[in-house]
Amino acid sequence: MTSRYDDEKFGGVVREYMRGQISRRQFIVRGAQLGLSAAVLAKLTRPSRAAANLLDSAPEAPYESPITPERVAFLKTKPYKGTTINVMVLKATVGDGLKYHVPHWEEQTGGKVNVAEVPIETLHTQIFSDLSSGLGKYDAYMTGCWFYGDFFVPKDPYIVPLETFLADPKHSYWDPDQWIPSMRKLYSWNGKVYGVLFDGDAQALYYRKDAFSKKENQDKFKAKYNYDLPAPPKTTKEYHDIADFFTGWDWNGDGQNDWGISLHAKVNEQGFFHFLTLSAPFVVSADNKYYFFNPDTMKPLINSEGHVRALEDYVKFLANGPKEEIAWTLGQGWNLFLDGHSATEPTWGDLPTLAQDPKTSRVQGKMGAAPLPGTTEAFNPITGQWKKYELNQVGNTNGGTWHCVISRLSKKQEATYDFLAFMANKKNALFNCTTGWTGVQPGMKFEYFPPVGSGNVAEWKAANPPWNEDDAIEYLKAYYAVLAAPVQQEYLRIPGAAEYWHELDINVSAVLGAQVQPKAALDATAAAWEKITDRYGRDKQKALYQASFA
Amino acid sequence: MITILWTRAGFWSRFLVYVLLVAAAVFTIVPFLWAAINSVKTLRETFQIGAFIPFLQFEPTLDSWREVLADPQTSTAFLNSCVISAGTTIFALILGVPAAYSLARYEFPIGSSDITLWFLSQRVLPPAVVLIPFYLLLVYLHLIDTWTGLILCYSTFNLAFVVVIMRDIFRDVSTEIEDAAKVEGATPWQIFWMIALPLSLDGLVVSSVLVFAFTWNEALFASALTSQAATPFSALVLASRSTRGVDFNTAAVNTLIGIVPPVIFYLFVQRYLARGLSFGAVKG
Amino acid sequence: MAALRVERLEHGGFFKYALLLPAVIWVFAFTFLPLISVIRFSFSSYVMGEGITGFVGFDNYVDVLTSGQFWQSIFVTVVYVIFAVPIELVLGFLAAWLVNLGAPGSRTFRTIIGSPLFTLEVAIGYLGVTFFTDQGGLIAVPLAALGIHVPWMSTAFGGIAGAILLDIWRWTSFIFIIVLAGLSGISSELYDAAVLDAKNHWQVMWHLAVPLAWPVTTIAVLLRTVECLKTFAIPFALTSGGPGTSTQTFSAMDYLTTIQFFDFGKGSAMGIVYLILVSVVIATFFQQMRRRLT
Repeated sequence: MTSRYDDEKFGGVVREYMRGQISRRQFIVRGAQLGLSAAVLAKLTRPSRAAANLLDSAPEAPYESPITPERVAFLKTKPYKGTTINVMVLKATVGDGLKYHVPHWEEQTGGKVNVAEVPIETLHTQIFSDLSSGLGKYDAYMTGCWFYGDFFVPKDPYIVPLETFLADPKHSYWDPDQWIPSMRKLYSWNGKVYGVLFDGDAQALYYRKDAFSKKENQDKFKAKYNYDLPAPPKTTKEYHDIADFFTGWDWNGDGQNDWGISLHAKVNEQGFFHFLTLSAPFVVSADNKYYFFNPDTMKPLINSEGHVRALEDYVKFLANGPKEEIAWTLGQGWNLFLDGHSATEPTWGDLPTLAQDPKTSRVQGKMGAAPLPGTTEAFNPITGQWKKYELNQVGNTNGGTWHCVISRLSKKQEATYDFLAFMANKKNALFNCTTGWTGVQPGMKFEYFPPVGSGNVAEWKAANPPWNEDDAIEYLKAYYAVLAAPVQQEYLRIPGAAEYWHELDINVSAVLGAQVQPKAALDATAAAWEKITDRYGRDKQKALYQASFA
Repeated sequence: MITILWTRAGFWSRFLVYVLLVAAAVFTIVPFLWAAINSVKTLRETFQIGAFIPFLQFEPTLDSWREVLADPQTSTAFLNSCVISAGTTIFALILGVPAAYSLARYEFPIGSSDITLWFLSQRVLPPAVVLIPFYLLLVYLHLIDTWTGLILCYSTFNLAFVVVIMRDIFRDVSTEIEDAAKVEGATPWQIFWMIALPLSLDGLVVSSVLVFAFTWNEALFASALTSQAATPFSALVLASRSTRGVDFNTAAVNTLIGIVPPVIFYLFVQRYLARGLSFGAVKG
Repeated sequence: MAALRVERLEHGGFFKYALLLPAVIWVFAFTFLPLISVIRFSFSSYVMGEGITGFVGFDNYVDVLTSGQFWQSIFVTVVYVIFAVPIELVLGFLAAWLVNLGAPGSRTFRTIIGSPLFTLEVAIGYLGVTFFTDQGGLIAVPLAALGIHVPWMSTAFGGIAGAILLDIWRWTSFIFIIVLAGLSGISSELYDAAVLDAKNHWQVMWHLAVPLAWPVTTIAVLLRTVECLKTFAIPFALTSGGPGTSTQTFSAMDYLTTIQFFDFGKGSAMGIVYLILVSVVIATFFQQMRRRLT
């Protein structure tokens, strides 16, 4: 680049290219006009993604935007006429999101999709029974990210990488480079992409903006705790004060006593994700990314001093919600917040999405959102040292991040990919993450607002039910901050992850039920983990654990 | 039914009997009523304090009924459940009743009670343990996700009910009539088919009702051995637990509609029970 | 008589096997191989995706027998059975007796009281949550209004008690239906005679109906006990076994181990140990009922 003028111009071209407004070829051409060598430009752009001239839309593809000309030509042939693919999905919420797109894809391609809906309880069993028995009845499975390790147990993994499909412009257009890196990791294994974009889970803190900004509450808070009511709380300590402050009195004025925090902690559900997320800043920091195992020995870290302190801390949160929270499922926890009885809830992006539906919510327009509070001191379980930090906040991708992977046993991998890619196309992906009942959260940059992404709040306000503008902006800002946080809690993706988590789950639950002390519970967890590791083979687990970081 | 006690009973005895019967009926009905109330709530209202009486305390909605009934999966699952339950009942009776009769009437080298016990032992092993071998077996036979596959499994495990109950019933049927028939030159088959069986209709009814109800209720095998085409209703209800927890309003709808086919079956076979009894009481 | 008997045995010789063998062969064919494979698994270490990774002798059994969770689940199951089955027996028998009296309307009562047998246990477990929750539960809220706060959902005691209540509601009908069949089979002439001798209603019940219906009642209790020892759906739908594993029944634990986590080795060993334990219980039970069954 020769001058400042060119610099700015080039920045504009890059922006246009990133937003998908110009094609890769155009980008290279215009970049070259600005004095850059085509070779350099070609390196800048990903050659694997063969995006030619992207069209905004085409009559052949009413459900896709943007779209490649190759795709348009391909669709004209009704390429999958007579082809039926079988997809196993999660029953209800997330699976419904997939089902919605089926008739559209069928209309465009002439293919047929047969959707089997399986409850979350048996999904893992069903997937791996179908694969390990060699039955291979299904072409694709909707998977939670903690199933990933299990796909890679056999030498020849159960699922196929997507490189070749991604490079073929005849399939629906979507760009893996749009993924926020922490999300991309969850869809990949050893650097290769295996999953097709669907969901993007992370936990953030949601709070009642209105209650937090009320002068009366602020004064009361200051009188009680001697500092200004922090909106949002930055540290766990502040969060405890807030949870404590809003508990046991009627701050919303409906005649019932209200609560400071809503959690759900029924065992064998997803309550342990709360613990994973809330405990992260006690262990994970700029100096240590390992939360579950020591990568060199596969010794569990779960009973480290940091984890124990985190669990002691977690128990205290439960005191600021209804007592029977420890038997609540996710929906019950959300309900307390949506019904207006809880001041905060650390949970998934479904909450602000559900808040937009007046049928389920009384809190539309009152949603504050932020990354989860951090600590000022974290334990490094590898070195065994506590260390002070200004503020140690940790991002996470905890949750299912439900999406489909393609079976190695499938004989219709291409058609299957075509269907999955169809749903990853920008138009459909946006529909998914703006619509509450799909249970899908945003993981791609184009779904976020500038400066980080190329999204537009109008897209959210046009959803059904429509989003409140402030809620959408708050939510996406916080969600992005969680996903893009420089310090991230790793996600456990080794074989048997469900079993490791289950052991943690029942032991944490026993602590909540006041049956054992935190230290003893985490020691028991560690002992159980050792057994699981031995069963799967320590060396293999170690290798896969390390690979899951790559 | 006996009526002599009733006809001879005084007012207060009769009153007491009715009080107890009504108490039992109320105890039985309240959960159904509660399910009915829950079924016309929104999800939020299922966890609202003081939402007991529709119209008065909350505005009822038929949304969850619509949601369940409009779902094509519901009707498919209903059909699957009916076929599988009826098929299992018929099959288990065909196999089990003759075996029970044989065990009740004849001597075997091995004690007939031990053989009965062996049948029963098929129900002792927890289903989770035998599920995996059965899964592999059905894969081998290409019967995963089929009616036949499930009927095969269920008849195997429910056979025990038929054998244990029918054996007991046959033992109670007086052999005098059978002996008389034998003197008249009836073949063993004729005796079984034309005398013992009609005299044991009430047992037949009870065992068929039980087999039907147990098959209808079974969800573990159902959800593991089917994934779509042959998924019965029980597995569908199990699936009302999603990533977001249970939708208690639709679960309530499922509770209510799930009881309809087996109750119809129950009422249907009860008429035969009455007819069976009209053969005259045989015990004593 | 003797000649007749010989002839009958000859006929029976072929005939009895013709009647019995189809069922025996059927059950044998479909359970023998699974049983063998369960036994094999119980001595192996198994990993999903790799299959059996080695034979480990009695390791799985040692694991199971030294596991606190295993014994806890046995304890929970036993408590469950000890409370649920006797109450169901008493209630079911009484209800059957009352219905069998033939009061006008009995037929309707019979249908109503028998109907819980046709509900889905999973659905009842879910419904149970809406009974016991503090957030508008049909049982919890009125009780709380009376000042009685039972921690139904948040403690082991509450969870088991709630599950047992649901179980009683669901399964009393089972005893009821079987016993009613037994009672209705008793000849009415016997009652006519008994009524003349007896001082009151209850005497007739104790001295006539109970002994005559005893065999079929025994069968009902036996079958119910066998089923209840496997109880899974109701408590699991209600509590998922929590808090911790304090309300986890044996079947739930085995389900998680075997089905969810594909640990066929430990799951199978667990099943075999359990099979032996239950067989001992059933055999003892049978010892008492021996006269009836031989």
